[in-house]
Amino acid sequence: MEPSNPLLDDFVLSLAPSSAREPRILFLPTASGDTTTQIGAFHARFSDRVCVAEHLSLFRLSESRRPLQEIVLSQDILYVGGGSMRNLLAIWRAHDLDRLLICAWRAGIVLAGISAGAMCWFEGGITRSSGVPEPLPGLGLLSGSLTVHADGEPERLPVWLAAVRDGVLPGGWSVDDGVGLLFGGTDLRRVVSSRPGAGAQRVDLLAGELVRRRLQPELLGATDHASGVPPPSQDEDVQELRRVQRMRRGISGERGERFGGL
Amino acid sequence: MRNPRRNPRRTPQIVALGGGGFSMEKDSSLLDDYILSLTCSARPRVCFLPTASGDADHYVVRFYRRFSALCDASHVSLFRRDQGVDGVEDDLATHLLSQDLVYVGGGNVVSMLGAWRAHGLDSVLRRAWRRGIVLCGPSAGSLCWFAESLSAFHGAPRRVRGLGLLPYSNCVHYDAEPERRAEYHRFVAAGMRPGFAAEDGVALHFRGTLLERSVSSRSDGRAYRVEPAGDSVVEVPLEVDQLGFAQRTPELEAVGAVA
Repeated sequence: MEPSNPLLDDFVLSLAPSSAREPRILFLPTASGDTTTQIGAFHARFSDRVCVAEHLSLFRLSESRRPLQEIVLSQDILYVGGGSMRNLLAIWRAHDLDRLLICAWRAGIVLAGISAGAMCWFEGGITRSSGVPEPLPGLGLLSGSLTVHADGEPERLPVWLAAVRDGVLPGGWSVDDGVGLLFGGTDLRRVVSSRPGAGAQRVDLLAGELVRRRLQPELLGATDHASGVPPPSQDEDVQELRRVQRMRRGISGERGERFGGL
Repeated sequence: MRNPRRNPRRTPQIVALGGGGFSMEKDSSLLDDYILSLTCSARPRVCFLPTASGDADHYVVRFYRRFSALCDASHVSLFRRDQGVDGVEDDLATHLLSQDLVYVGGGNVVSMLGAWRAHGLDSVLRRAWRRGIVLCGPSAGSLCWFAESLSAFHGAPRRVRGLGLLPYSNCVHYDAEPERRAEYHRFVAAGMRPGFAAEDGVALHFRGTLLERSVSSRSDGRAYRVEPAGDSVVEVPLEVDQLGFAQRTPELEAVGAVA
């Protein structure tokens, strides 16, 4: 979710099965602790698009007593937000949601996500959940590992390369901000980007050596840029991340919720 | 008394709030004052764990507003450990084990226990308890210490296993949410272990695993022991002391243990 660049989000929405006249898209902000900022950004992006957009909170009490299974399996797209990958997976496990997401994937529901919400589908990723970057196993729906923010948070990359070299993580992909990998089943089908210049690479360990191969993403919405719409800033979601971090560190207004006991 | 490690023989203590304390009661600080008095420290070290709220900023702010004047107050965020400027930066275990009081906020108990396990906090808190660091909290911050409780967060109510420091079940907000009482009865009648139910504004104070005293910030705050009886349950009312009226020092005058 880049604030002024909807290309990747529109791409995600375009993946909904064509039978879904108004695709149902569910946002899971678990990795952030269900921050208002993330939930607000999701609804701001999707509320005026042709879809039914909802979010699922695992922290706040909702009026709804619909079972998780019913909520999750009635969607066309599940969109997972960024944050702490370690917390994300642990909290999903505690609610038995990891199992449900695997069912959703098998049932053909599109799974999408950014940052922690992208790495969680792979065998492993590089998380900063405990401070310093370190490898962490994911759900393993997709073979290989993924590391994100290769340009925006360069300190992740060497940790990932070392983990692949040492066999802690299997080989996989490293992607810049603004780059999306589309998998059909477990096969990589497309590498897309919302920004010119953003890249991705595939890295494998072959005979004890790291072999790196550059992938050239297809630029989404290229026709718009050709027609004179200026390309979005390279750093938008890094800037968004910093803005969010500033807000969270500072004293934000009281949200006035009461934390009930469940 | 500042360093708990100097006093390894302190009795483990837990104060389980049915609801109340700084997060819920605007004017009343009686329950929080009671809890602070158990630390026997002039300026206690108090650490807040807002995990069950997803580390909600406004909750953390309210904690500091309430405690920073009286205590060495800190909080631990499990969602922002990458930022290194928020909450505690040093080793979590070392920090938590040097406290006089750990205050656990309300929210979702299942999410909280999941995140705690992922960061090893379940075993750290068990050690903290054994060392005599006072543990307390409302709602999710109460349920977590018991062996079992109920969650009805999404879908039908189900049993949730807590840390099990207290070998009972627990039900909070007993007055505020009427279905909850009926559901708790149904589960205890169906084999959930016997336990304690507390209304908003009521605190159950345990020393070791025994109930030492029940106190309330309200004149009509109630708490119960709930036990199975045939196909049904019995609700045994507990004696609840109203705080703020001829308050006694809890260390000296304990009301008979009920558990």
